[in-house]
Amino acid sequence: MRAPVSRKLLAIALLGVPALAAAATPVKTGTAEASATALVAAASDLRFALDEVIAQFRRDTGATVQVTYGSSGNFARQIEQGAPFDLFLSADETYVEQLAQRGLTADRGAIYAIGHIVIYVPTGSPLTPDPQLHALAVRLAEGGLVRIAIANPAHAPYGRAAGQTLRNLGLWEAVQPRLVIGENVAQAAQFASSGNVDGAIIAHSLALAPALRERGSFALLPESLHEPLRQRMVLLSRASPAAVRLYGYLQSPSARAILARYGFTLPGN
Amino acid sequence: MDWTALGLSLRLGAVTLLLLMPFAFVLARALAFGRWRGRGVVQALVALPLILPPTVLGYYLLVALGRASPLGALFESTFGRPLVFSFEALVIASLVVNLPFAVQPMQNALAAIPGNLRDAARCCGLSPAAAMRRVELPLALPGIGTAAVLTFAHTLGEFGVVLMVGGAIPGETRTVAIAIYDSVQSFDEPAAASMALALLVIAVLALLLTNALARRAWRRD
Amino acid sequence: MPDRQGLHVRLRHAAPFALDLEFDAPAGTITALFGASGSGKTTVLRAVAGLHPTREALVTCSGRTWADTATGQWLAAHRRPVGFVFQDYALFPHLTVREQLALALGHRRPRERSSRVAELLAAARLEDLADRRPATLSGGQQQRVAIARALAREPALLLLDEPFAAVDWALRDALRRELVDLQRRLSLTVLLVTHDFEDVAKLASQLVVLERGSVATAGSVATITSRNAVPGLDRWREPAVALDATVIAQDTDRQLSLLAAGGMELEVPSVAAPVGGLVRIQLAAREVVLASARPEGLSLHNVLEARVAAVEPASHEALRLVHLDVASTRLLSLVTADAVRRLALAPGVPVLALVKAVAVEAFA
Repeated sequence: MRAPVSRKLLAIALLGVPALAAAATPVKTGTAEASATALVAAASDLRFALDEVIAQFRRDTGATVQVTYGSSGNFARQIEQGAPFDLFLSADETYVEQLAQRGLTADRGAIYAIGHIVIYVPTGSPLTPDPQLHALAVRLAEGGLVRIAIANPAHAPYGRAAGQTLRNLGLWEAVQPRLVIGENVAQAAQFASSGNVDGAIIAHSLALAPALRERGSFALLPESLHEPLRQRMVLLSRASPAAVRLYGYLQSPSARAILARYGFTLPGN
Repeated sequence: MDWTALGLSLRLGAVTLLLLMPFAFVLARALAFGRWRGRGVVQALVALPLILPPTVLGYYLLVALGRASPLGALFESTFGRPLVFSFEALVIASLVVNLPFAVQPMQNALAAIPGNLRDAARCCGLSPAAAMRRVELPLALPGIGTAAVLTFAHTLGEFGVVLMVGGAIPGETRTVAIAIYDSVQSFDEPAAASMALALLVIAVLALLLTNALARRAWRRD
Repeated sequence: MPDRQGLHVRLRHAAPFALDLEFDAPAGTITALFGASGSGKTTVLRAVAGLHPTREALVTCSGRTWADTATGQWLAAHRRPVGFVFQDYALFPHLTVREQLALALGHRRPRERSSRVAELLAAARLEDLADRRPATLSGGQQQRVAIARALAREPALLLLDEPFAAVDWALRDALRRELVDLQRRLSLTVLLVTHDFEDVAKLASQLVVLERGSVATAGSVATITSRNAVPGLDRWREPAVALDATVIAQDTDRQLSLLAAGGMELEVPSVAAPVGGLVRIQLAAREVVLASARPEGLSLHNVLEARVAAVEPASHEALRLVHLDVASTRLLSLVTADAVRRLALAPGVPVLALVKAVAVEAFA
């Protein structure tokens, strides 16, 4: 009889596939391995720069590093709620201080880089990049259709800097209805690189990445127009030994050289 | 293709299935056959995750599972780590979010069983438990299959709630749906494309399977 | 006198169906529960089976108490030795005929079950259909499966809910015969719910008439039909008496059978029953002619001595229903009021009841 056979196959398929999947995936690491793993929360502007640093770190030490990128404010909130990160690289200082005050960190951390923002326009955009955003001002005054992406000023330091810059240039009111808010600065960059917006105020480090450099052009925005982006990192309480090593590594010359290549100003320079 | 994320998603789907199906079956049965006070309220509650925005669910789950909550505190004191941002939190979130997908198909299948069949089972000497095993379950099987397929497929695609409750910890809570989002943000289009395709294929297969099961139910009568 | 081995039922219930009744179904007989739709007959059946709890209940069968709200006793439905044949048969769509019967044999040990199933299949002539599913069976076949399944439990009581309602007219008598045959062979106590009086006349020996949840009349079919006292029946049924008859003799030359019923002897066209066999007969009142003198030269076979018991109005103004005491039973005769005057019919008057052989409807 045909029915019972296909019914059995169905049962096997329904139960077997998930069971196999469950069995095949790696189980949570034991404590022995945990010491050789570092779980890092990093601000989105570090996406490409930090990947390079970590690749080198892995080669040198053999440790495993898991990085999650996002907005600094989001991470601060998650860490407050107990997210199991070992190391937090924020895009500013306030979030680190917040966590330190709550006793969630090993110490007050260290500045590892100073960030910069740029105006980035994808190829084919009606805008041209310039440090005073003249093209944007003109377009807004004409009433032309234009869309600009920035990171969310509420919890992304780069978004906050973008907002400050626009205010100081007297463009904030006019640009308000034209703003596309990215969840973090990398998402704002992605909106621009895909051509879905006409321009974006993003991190210098992201604009230097191949994926963006190939698809558009940018101009640095003056530091005087916004509060400095002093990027502070901190080890969290009960950080793993691998994370402690990474913390030190990030302040080493080889790591600093990589960060410099991505447009960061190093502390002490 | 992020195999860890895919494996994590599959594991989440499997665990959700294993834990949710038995409970959902009992609930579906009570809703299908019972005439008890509060039945309407429970039915509405079961359907709630279908219409609530994922962020609303995520918000309330954070409140319920956070470190300050009784559940979160209990978990932390027992296991030494917080409940939020762990795989266990995802499982709990998944159980809540998938409740309607698991309960409703089974409830409909059970309610479709003609009332006098269950009476006939009694008059054949079958105890309520035996009647469930030998009459209700076989006749509701297509509905049970649909519930399982939908629950599994929906778990794979769950994004908003997972992100809020689990963060995106690689190997722990970074499911394949989140990995796709992340790949787009890191300009890794090939990875995003392959993972999106994988989920699309799974979704299509799931729909084909539920259709086939629904047709079987028809043919029976 | 309540029969301890039979079924005794007393039920009281309010919503959604109002019930307030008490009746007996003697052991080894077919008792019909008759009434219009909404009279509560199916509810009573379900209550007896234990499927429908009522506010007050007393159900005893074969000397065992199945339900007694006064003492809090309640035997769950699956523990009562009942066989239930539902109106639409309620066969399990996912099981073959064989599997349906096996399901009902839980009370037997596994080793015995397959042989019991084979016995049942043979007895119900279902061997060829054993591996078919209900969807592939005809209405009549499904009914046989439903009855076989009900009997598989070796029940003390067989409950039937309008068993012939879904069956073709032409098939009904055949199925009725099978049921009677079955009941006699197994001496089953049967409670049969129906709104078709043909079922009552041809099958039942006891009758309980329900009207809006209460018993309107109860008693033997012969007595009730001869009194023409079925409430609600007079509206759409011709008065007729239903009696049990025994075949005394078969005359193959003249193609006639001689039946004894209620003390009378009747000649009828030959019936398909052996000498000594039981036959159900119905005598419609309009087929009974009354005479004050024995007639000559008529085709008539049956001339019975009777005495008028009562003269009652009938459905039509110009007609009268005459109740007759004949031998040890009662007959009815529908005649014109004019005839009643002409023959001076009054209670106590002797008269002859003339019954055509053809007019005796025999159900063998």
